[in-house]
Amino acid sequence: MILIGENINIMSQTIGAALKERNPGPIQQLVRDEIEAGIDYLDLNIGPARKGGDELMDWVVNAVQAVTDKPLSLDTTNPVAMEAGLKVAKNKPLINSISLQPDRLEPGLQLAKRYNANLIGLLWGAEGMPRDANERAMHVVDFVYKANETGIPNEHIWIDPIVSPVSVEINQVKACIELMSMLADIAPGCKSTVGMSNISNGTPHNLRPWLNRTYMIMLMKYGLYSAIVDAFDTDLIKIAKGERPEIVSLVHRMMEGEKPDMAALNEEEARYAKTARVLMGESLYSHSWLEI
Amino acid sequence: MAFEIPKTAYSGKIKEITLGKGEKAVTVGGESSYPFYLFEGEMPHLPRIAMEVYDAPPEEWAEAALEPFADVVSDPVAWANKCIKDYGAEMICLQLASTDPNGLDRGADEAAEVVKRVSEAIDVPLIVLGTANHDKDTEVFRKVAEVCHGKNLILGPVEEGDYKQIGAAAIGYQHTVVAASPIDINLGKQLNILLGNLGVSDDMLVMDPTVSGIGYGIEYAYSVMERMRMAALTQQDDKLQFPIICNIARETWKAKEAKISEAEDPKMGDAKKRGILLEAMSATVLLLAGADVLIMRHPEAIKLVREMIAELTAS
Repeated sequence: MILIGENINIMSQTIGAALKERNPGPIQQLVRDEIEAGIDYLDLNIGPARKGGDELMDWVVNAVQAVTDKPLSLDTTNPVAMEAGLKVAKNKPLINSISLQPDRLEPGLQLAKRYNANLIGLLWGAEGMPRDANERAMHVVDFVYKANETGIPNEHIWIDPIVSPVSVEINQVKACIELMSMLADIAPGCKSTVGMSNISNGTPHNLRPWLNRTYMIMLMKYGLYSAIVDAFDTDLIKIAKGERPEIVSLVHRMMEGEKPDMAALNEEEARYAKTARVLMGESLYSHSWLEI
Repeated sequence: MAFEIPKTAYSGKIKEITLGKGEKAVTVGGESSYPFYLFEGEMPHLPRIAMEVYDAPPEEWAEAALEPFADVVSDPVAWANKCIKDYGAEMICLQLASTDPNGLDRGADEAAEVVKRVSEAIDVPLIVLGTANHDKDTEVFRKVAEVCHGKNLILGPVEEGDYKQIGAAAIGYQHTVVAASPIDINLGKQLNILLGNLGVSDDMLVMDPTVSGIGYGIEYAYSVMERMRMAALTQQDDKLQFPIICNIARETWKAKEAKISEAEDPKMGDAKKRGILLEAMSATVLLLAGADVLIMRHPEAIKLVREMIAELTAS
């Protein structure tokens, strides 16, 4: 799996300040640490960047490229800033992201075409969040059709089926998985990606990795190509790199209907199994889900 | 092959919980199907209605709501007795509105004294509700729990911010708690887990999902209650298999639509009828979502809801 490190983010206190002060030190250190951790792409999230976003993106792309040639995921909703990043990115970058909102889709696709970039197709429609797997599927078809029309091949499109927090609406958590199970049929050749940490938004900080990892395993069952992840969750990275086949197998067997004997599982396995039950909608989420 | 009506596969059951003490104690819960799905399971105990009594004369009440109690509003004991004798109340809910720090701010001792007098004057179960101010409720319920030791009052709302303090008092003096969560099924489950960890036994807990009346987001309350029952009955979620209590009277009668007079807005129609129907219909919606105990105000609204329960369960 391709891993996109989420950690260079304007919301972070140190990175936010470094971006503001144009201080490359902390950013470059984080880049080295993320690569050391096993990250393939570096997400550069500069937020909406309404004022001076182009100059900021230009600066941060150059600052990062001074220490690595890994590809970048340019993460902003400001199209001018996006273009500034695309101009200076050396290794085929990833546009994060283009939604189906009418005012975003066309200009986004034009940019992707002009710079021959990879792009994340975010299944966020004119009416916002899709309600279920079918609406997601409809959006995939629309998006791919429009992208192809623009001259973008499926191989450049990374579909993001939208991960939403487990504590908000379990049906959305299930719908995202369901869409992944259909994606290869609806959009042959397209890739996929998700914002992994969204699943655990609003849950106790120290427990978030269990949800992130388990949900990633569930999406992997249907061929998840890449994910935007916390670079410093070492177990998650091991799982993504195929180093924890027994855990992956446990969760996948549960998805096929197997009911593991909880008493026979070790503590780590039991945690994955409990989390899988929650994410499959078999057990209702609560902050104490690992304890009951 | 003959057509067979599909049936929901239930794997769980709501816990049966006894509220109050003695001959007039009532048992709620025990459902093994969705509300009133008597063709699929059982509802061994019909939903109950607790009538509201306030610990101080209400201010700004709609005329229609005040009218039946006009002679007893300054005496909670007389008020409670009137509810039981004249209107057949099976439970009383004493609202400790006067303890509100932003209002009269009556002290814990005084509040506890009122609770004690009411609890001694009646033999039906007594629900006692505070103002959801964590510090004040903690202070008040510590005292209330103590002076009414062993009476099995039903104390609430117990929220995430004060569950340890009030929960401990309830355990120590043997009272039932109302676990209240802010219209969120996950937080509701979490609070039940926390109260269980604290030592509140499963037969001393009822859930308050936080409800609102028609026109003020009742669909959210409905949806949360519905999902609670789905988890409890079809997913064996034992942390949600508790009876549900709905504090609905206050929510409906505080609405502009219940208060405004016909003279002020003629197109709204008769104010009394309007208020009563708003309360009765809101309560009916919550019954259909799974309410086991409804806290209600107007005798005529209560009468309508009782008739609805009887009709829905007639064999």
